[in-house]
Amino acid sequence: MISEALQEVIEELADIEDRMERFEFIFDLAEEVLDLPVEAWTDENRVKGCQSQAHLEIRLDNGVVHLRGGADARLVQGLMGLLALGMHGQPLDVAQAMTVDHIKEAGVLNSLTPSRSNGVRTMFDMITSVLEAMNHGE
Amino acid sequence: MVSASDFPILSRTVNGKRLVYLDNAATTQKPQVVIDAMNRYYTNSNANVHRAVHTLAGEATDGYEACRTSLKSWFNADRLVLTSGTTEAINLVAHGWGRANLKQGDAIVLTEMEHHSDIVPWQMLSKERGVELRYVPVLEDMTLDMEAFEASLPGAKLVCVVHTSNVLGVRNPVERIIEQAHASGARVLLDAAQGAPHTRIDVTDMDVDFLAVSAHKMLGPTGIGCLTVKEDAFAEMAPFMGGGDMIDQVTVEGSTYQENEHKFEAGTPRIAEAIGWKAAMDYLEQVDLEVEHHRLLNIARWTAEALRGLGCTVYGRHDDLDSAVVSFLHPSLHAEDMAHLLDAQGFAVRTGHHCAQPLLHRLGISSTVRASFYLYNTMEEAEGLVEALGHVLERFGGSA
Ligand SMILES: Cc1ncc(COP(=O)(O)O)c(C=O)c1O
Repeated sequence: MISEALQEVIEELADIEDRMERFEFIFDLAEEVLDLPVEAWTDENRVKGCQSQAHLEIRLDNGVVHLRGGADARLVQGLMGLLALGMHGQPLDVAQAMTVDHIKEAGVLNSLTPSRSNGVRTMFDMITSVLEAMNHGE
Repeated sequence: MVSASDFPILSRTVNGKRLVYLDNAATTQKPQVVIDAMNRYYTNSNANVHRAVHTLAGEATDGYEACRTSLKSWFNADRLVLTSGTTEAINLVAHGWGRANLKQGDAIVLTEMEHHSDIVPWQMLSKERGVELRYVPVLEDMTLDMEAFEASLPGAKLVCVVHTSNVLGVRNPVERIIEQAHASGARVLLDAAQGAPHTRIDVTDMDVDFLAVSAHKMLGPTGIGCLTVKEDAFAEMAPFMGGGDMIDQVTVEGSTYQENEHKFEAGTPRIAEAIGWKAAMDYLEQVDLEVEHHRLLNIARWTAEALRGLGCTVYGRHDDLDSAVVSFLHPSLHAEDMAHLLDAQGFAVRTGHHCAQPLLHRLGISSTVRASFYLYNTMEEAEGLVEALGHVLERFGGSA
């Protein structure tokens, strides 16, 4: 089961038909992710393959996922917000229920193939692999 | 005169809006005649080339070789090897000529304006052979530092320069570069991926040793391009890919190679693509490229000015010989956001580093938005772009 917050946003998005409005909506989601200040941007938390600068910090605290993110493109920041709605403050199983298809439902990206340079796919894969590793590490 | 109606893709819609395709420096759209030629080949004449006596093989061979003949005449070239594109053409010079002629201590002159395709092969060769790489800087005015170029020539065996920049549209003073390089005993490779689509290049007149071109940037199919080679440079090249089609005789003791261009075209070549490219060249023959160049440059100049009016920084100068490329940024909206929002309105533009990271580094930026115009584009489309961008900035460009 995905988080309630993510479920709600997906339903809201489903009602938006105009593509520009969708962008506006996603841009506004940027506020949903805790800011990772530029000083904390490191090579380790850099989202590789992203056209713009994007950094994500992923932590697991007592079985609860913590995300902080920062990006110079607002779309990327907005999509980080979407990820945060699905994962931040959530227990591992809820966070892991979120898939790339949920990002697809935002309906603003034309491609989510691994090589697509906007790196949103990379961002998602980065989180899931970190969570996976942490889960096994515990 | 080119009509957009010759290009079936241009009548499609994107996100509910009519497509305005402004990513021509990445690849151009194909006229129906090119699509038809390739279809006809697969429907009627498909066979392998240079290998059999049957009718289909004859038609395929004639079609493939007709592409070479047409290009040789277009570029006025001594030798013309068909490759997969500009990238492979440059790699062919690195492997076929570079390895046979360069040794430790020799130098290659490159520029900061190069596409990665004209940097990475040389870095690889440099690592393998201990060849020194010298980069000519790009100045504030976005032109090459010609003094630094001259100073870099002593000891250089090869000069590799982009004819026209894919980011800036700047057309380099290649005539002067060739003259000075030759005077100092260096051969010259021109990366004409962007130059060839916009202007007629005569390699004999220009006296250029190697010229690399991609078909897909000049109305032809993807997967094919060429390298023109001057006769004396051709004699200095050794084959690097072995296989069928490139040999004269093969015995278990060893092989001898073909003498002509086939020596560098190992394996079954890109037959349908060659036939498609020939059709594209026939189409281009009907176009007055000089007239089109002025028309497109005017559109680019107008667009650059209008974008500046919207607060954008434009990277490029749009001199008389430059190509119709407009690279820009706006302080309040990231390039990637801008491209997504333009796409939502049907405008296909490019963002990113355009495979020219050293150049962008020199300009102090990490990406640009790039609108690049080609034969089927119109002033109305440029006006549409500027209007769409104005809306985007109004609605989304609030906070920096
Ligand atoms: C200046 C320049 N050189 C080389 C290339 C590489 O061409 P291709 O990918 O067709 O080999 C390009 C294409 O983007 C280019 O613009």
